[in-house]
Amino acid sequence: MVIYCIYIVSKSGGLIFNYDHNVPKVENERKFTYPLDIRLNYENKKVSVHFGQRDGINVGHVLTAVNGMPVTGRQLDDGRDAKDVLESKESYPLTLKFSRPKMTTNEKIFLASMFYPLFAIASQLSPEPKCSGIEVLKGDTFKLHCFQTLTGVKIMTVVDRNQIGAEVFLKRVYELYADYALKNPFYSLEMPIRCELFDTNLKAMLEQIDKSGIASI
Amino acid sequence: MTVHNIYIFDRMGTLLYYQDWNRLKNSGMTKEEEAKLMYGMLFSLKSFVNKISPTDPKEGFLYYKTSKYTLHFLETPSGLKFVLNTDNHSQGVRDFLQQIYKEIFVEYVVKNPLCNLNEPIQSELFKTKLDAYVKQSSVFLTKSM
Amino acid sequence: MSRSTRFDTKKVNSELVTLTYGTLVAQMVKDLENPDDVSKQLDRIGYNMGIRLIEDYLSKTGSGRCLDLKDTADKIQTAFRMYLGVQPNVVNWSPAGDEFSFSLDSNPLTELVELPDDLKQLKYCNIICGAIRGALEMVQLDVQSWVVQDQLKGDPNTEIRVKFIRRLEDAMPAGED
Repeated sequence: MVIYCIYIVSKSGGLIFNYDHNVPKVENERKFTYPLDIRLNYENKKVSVHFGQRDGINVGHVLTAVNGMPVTGRQLDDGRDAKDVLESKESYPLTLKFSRPKMTTNEKIFLASMFYPLFAIASQLSPEPKCSGIEVLKGDTFKLHCFQTLTGVKIMTVVDRNQIGAEVFLKRVYELYADYALKNPFYSLEMPIRCELFDTNLKAMLEQIDKSGIASI
Repeated sequence: MTVHNIYIFDRMGTLLYYQDWNRLKNSGMTKEEEAKLMYGMLFSLKSFVNKISPTDPKEGFLYYKTSKYTLHFLETPSGLKFVLNTDNHSQGVRDFLQQIYKEIFVEYVVKNPLCNLNEPIQSELFKTKLDAYVKQSSVFLTKSM
Repeated sequence: MSRSTRFDTKKVNSELVTLTYGTLVAQMVKDLENPDDVSKQLDRIGYNMGIRLIEDYLSKTGSGRCLDLKDTADKIQTAFRMYLGVQPNVVNWSPAGDEFSFSLDSNPLTELVELPDDLKQLKYCNIICGAIRGALEMVQLDVQSWVVQDQLKGDPNTEIRVKFIRRLEDAMPAGED
């Protein structure tokens, strides 16, 4: 069972909960000689691969370390600019580490609010009457299941593309939400869920699934 | 199994072709508005899928499913977008879209020097061939209920 | 269903193609007088072919987007085999991996052709360069392509150079980032 992450979106489209359970780290390190045989892009305060993917270093990955020294944005930890280092012949050979950029919380909030209209348009564009919004969204690397409660709260999970039984899992998360968020008198509706009991129970359930499969819950 | 409708967009978002076979509900807007909405949705869906994907995607968005229909999506590296709405039980629709691209679109539009590639398709030959191709496919079977 | 049964590549005589192309070039030489203009026009014709041919290629091979020039080279190599029936070698990579050449031992376009002395600067095969450029532009790759060596000019083989310029981000299909 591979569950990558869980999102809960409120009725008005705000992200009120997210949890990364099992996001694989995509990271690659390789030694390079001069001239660099991949094209890099130095825009938006980061160094990312523009063209020329190879050995697992794919287009869109960002530079995270040079010779083992971490890079933040465009700057190495010793204060040098990554571009200067990569463009001067003297610094080679270089060991560069690239990784798939991790989503920031802001990006997650953005994605959650982006899904909201998609869900609605999918229903509007339906060729058949009385159609729901998106229930399953499939990409080549994952599957997203969305369960909308009657009150309009959306519970979503990103799982492995061949995973079955995600619907059951979502119903169980709904139960946890009802139990540990809604029944908690100090939780206010539409606000981010910061309830320890909810977290611990969700984690326990995920562990249970990891151990003995989705049928066990 | 049922095929509802097809949309073909070029890479700039122009609707090149639309046809429906079994459409029971209209979106309540003009064809142009509907096409814009559809294209906008695809645009966002693609970006959404690429961002939320846990590992590096190759093809990205493949399909989505609602309670009543499934929207299948095929984009070529040249940016053409093929969208086919079917019921939820159809199998192998992506391959079918690839076939439409290869057997119908390339043959009767791209190879027809009189067809401009950035304008809505007027070719009658294309229309009849596409219609026949869809109707003889295994995906197409009028609703038995 | 498809017309490819009627237009089977095996059934079209390749010499007919050579002859058609030769006649076209010869007519252009007559009409335009300046060989450089002819080369330019050939490149343009190739470009216009490329932007359509790419769809045929993509639909038949089902191949995905290239994110490395080595991929691109492999795929164009396949395209040479599909459309010209010859397999060029991919050679002379630049150290930065952004330039390479196709080397053709035989070229169906130039069989039976002899260039007269006053047309030595004519780039007879420029149509291929144009086609490569046009096809790649449709998949958002901006390249330059030119003929380096030409059997017509006494070189041992025909060499076509391809240089990566950039990915065309503006032309990127929506949502591709």
